[in-house]
Amino acid sequence: MGLWRAAKRLFHQATIGDQRYRFLFQPGPADEVVAIDCETTGLDVARDDIITIAAVKIRGDRILASERFQAILRPDARMEAEAIKVHHVFEREVEEKGRLIYKVLPELLHFIGARPLVGYYLDFDIAMLDKYVLPFIGIELPNRRIEVSSLYDERKYGDAPPGTTVDLSFNAILKDLGIPRLAQHDALNDALMTAMMYVALRDLKARGVRIPRPRSRPSVQPGGA
Amino acid sequence: MTQAFDASTPPFDRLDARQVETLRAALDIGYYRPGETLIAQNAQSESLFIVLKGTVEERDRDELIALLGPGDAFDSRAIVQGESGHAFVARDECLCWLAPKVVILDLIKRSPRFASFFYLDISRKLDALEREAEDQRVGSLMRARLAEVFTHPAQFIDAGESIEAAGRQMQDCNSNTLFVRDTGRVGVITGMNLAKGVILRRLPLETPVRELAHFDVVRLRPDDFVFEALLLMTKHNKRRVALHDGERYVGIVEDIDLLSFIAGATQIVAGRIDRATSLDELGAAAAEINAQVRVLRRQGLKVQVIAEIVSDLNRRLLARLFELVAPASIREAGCLIVMGSEGRGEQTIRTDQDNGLILSRPVDEADLTQFRAAFSGALEQFGFPPCPGRVMVSNPFWSRPLADFVEDFRRWLTLPDEDTQLNIAIFIDAEAVAGDAALLEQAKKALIGGMRGEQATLARFAKAVDAFETPIGLFNQLITAEGKGDALDLKRGGIFPIVHGARALALEKGVTETGTTARLAKLGRLGMLRPEFVSELVDAFQFLMTLRLDSQLAQAAGGSGALVRPAELSTMERDLLRDAFRVVKQFREIVRRHFNLGMF
Repeated sequence: MGLWRAAKRLFHQATIGDQRYRFLFQPGPADEVVAIDCETTGLDVARDDIITIAAVKIRGDRILASERFQAILRPDARMEAEAIKVHHVFEREVEEKGRLIYKVLPELLHFIGARPLVGYYLDFDIAMLDKYVLPFIGIELPNRRIEVSSLYDERKYGDAPPGTTVDLSFNAILKDLGIPRLAQHDALNDALMTAMMYVALRDLKARGVRIPRPRSRPSVQPGGA
Repeated sequence: MTQAFDASTPPFDRLDARQVETLRAALDIGYYRPGETLIAQNAQSESLFIVLKGTVEERDRDELIALLGPGDAFDSRAIVQGESGHAFVARDECLCWLAPKVVILDLIKRSPRFASFFYLDISRKLDALEREAEDQRVGSLMRARLAEVFTHPAQFIDAGESIEAAGRQMQDCNSNTLFVRDTGRVGVITGMNLAKGVILRRLPLETPVRELAHFDVVRLRPDDFVFEALLLMTKHNKRRVALHDGERYVGIVEDIDLLSFIAGATQIVAGRIDRATSLDELGAAAAEINAQVRVLRRQGLKVQVIAEIVSDLNRRLLARLFELVAPASIREAGCLIVMGSEGRGEQTIRTDQDNGLILSRPVDEADLTQFRAAFSGALEQFGFPPCPGRVMVSNPFWSRPLADFVEDFRRWLTLPDEDTQLNIAIFIDAEAVAGDAALLEQAKKALIGGMRGEQATLARFAKAVDAFETPIGLFNQLITAEGKGDALDLKRGGIFPIVHGARALALEKGVTETGTTARLAKLGRLGMLRPEFVSELVDAFQFLMTLRLDSQLAQAAGGSGALVRPAELSTMERDLLRDAFRVVKQFREIVRRHFNLGMF
């Protein structure tokens, strides 16, 4: 954990607005993490909205898909600080097509608890969530973050010579780990695939197994075969 | 909810949408590192595993039983019986869906079709598979009951009534067949019988029908299958079968009724063979036999029934050819035999001709030479490929006097090599097709007599069960190379060990049956094999034969047809294939122990 983030965590622990969420700072259940993925309307944290959130607990080597968290949000219900104060007004307007984020957040926060979060380009997902979490409980998510692309980078390119082309794309990770691409592209399937990446990469690291890299230069083929 | 779990592969495709939803909601995913045990041997399991990624080894102690890949589900035994028979170990990094046992047990209770996957014995799984296939098949009429076929109601006449009275009754009831009541017996008389009696034998119209009726009535029950009627008609060369409900005759089914009910025409082919008066006519009939195999299979007939029908047609063909081309000297002195798979009645698609001629005495050499060439040449023209090992009438080694055969047997037994072992094997399977069957009986008696009680000789003979390993190694390639990999050799890895093991045990016990299924059944009755094991083995054998036939039909253009690509099989079939190979392995072990093959 970076120094800056550690300091921030300490600050948040001291300044948390809603005391009911102090559990975010308690030690979480041993050997449990949560894989999380959000689908958003775009990549601009300031302007775009979350459409769906999916989270899956991982206990040891088991991905608890049966205890998943899944929420579809109302895409037009932009969550502004003002709106939270008057949320009782919106409450009546909840429609079938999606829920309001302030209704979803307490469930999500209780679901993840103090567990570390696992994701692919997780900082973006958390930044999106923090946009709503900060005004809601007065702090940003303090959970430890585990970035699967970093785990992958370390296993594959950790000992690579300088100048090696690095590919950290989601597809490259799936392919190297032999994880099947799940049929439908949605937040839950992305979270599940991320969870599978995590358990596989963690095990490779524990066993000291590296992911082989293709040769950087084509090998010389005598005879032009 | 998540669509991540693919429910379109068996057995999950049998669940309805709500059941799939229940299952999906309950699934977890487990990760296993190489060497990690998913289910220990004889242990409980809280989940049904469905491989998502990687390869799982199924092990019986040190022995590798099978390799499971993506889509494969295990272990039904642990779910249903509460204890796994084998151990399941990750071969590489594996991900598996974990379906809780309680959820699976509940689905088993609710969906009988889903439950069939979890049956523990092969035969119930096979039946389920047959039912599945049948659902998709349009022309499964052969498996219909006779009661569903149009039948003529039973009409009776007393045996003392006249030909004229019979004719009138037929006219009145618009039927061509009457049952004839005689004291203590019932027969059948047809319009053709009446006509022949009057016209050809010039019998007076007052003659009692007793004289013309035949009392060797072929009968079946209304709830018997259509194919059984077809089989009986082909075998006995009858045009009609009587229906008897256990108490009395209730009707008549004519061949034309059956043929209008089904598309196949084996009975017609049989008739054509019998009526052929030239090689050309016979050749035309022969060409239809192969086509029948496809029709029969499409209609969903079990491979054993198809093999019986085809063997019957082939033997009929050979017998007719013998009559047409053999000179009188050979017809009188000879016994035409078929050997190998043809003798066992297990050939469906023609692979080669294995036939021979046993003579009671030396015949005119010119006659013999001419017959050898004519017989084998005609068969080749009819589309029976020549035997690569030249086990054919055209080879003087396989067409000679009994005394010469018997003399050779002694050499086969005292100087055993690969060829003589093969000769013994195919000769033991021989059946007489035409001529004096007693000659074959005597020959077999001499051969078997020379081997019975000779443990070393028998063991040397049995040893061939070990010639080919059960092809589990190939499974792996298939799983990793998904479809591009090698194919399984069903014949070498599965069918041959069963056939040969049964043959060796039958030989030792003096069992005279030639069919593998019949041999196994007899060995079961003799107490050599446990009856439950016999039925498992027979089921495994039938399943392997079915796969082989289907693959032969699929690649009708050529190829050995013994090869099957597991990647092209359904999950259910692959599961059965594993079961079948497991049974083959057990049987091989039994044979090995029985003949003490470890000593060799």
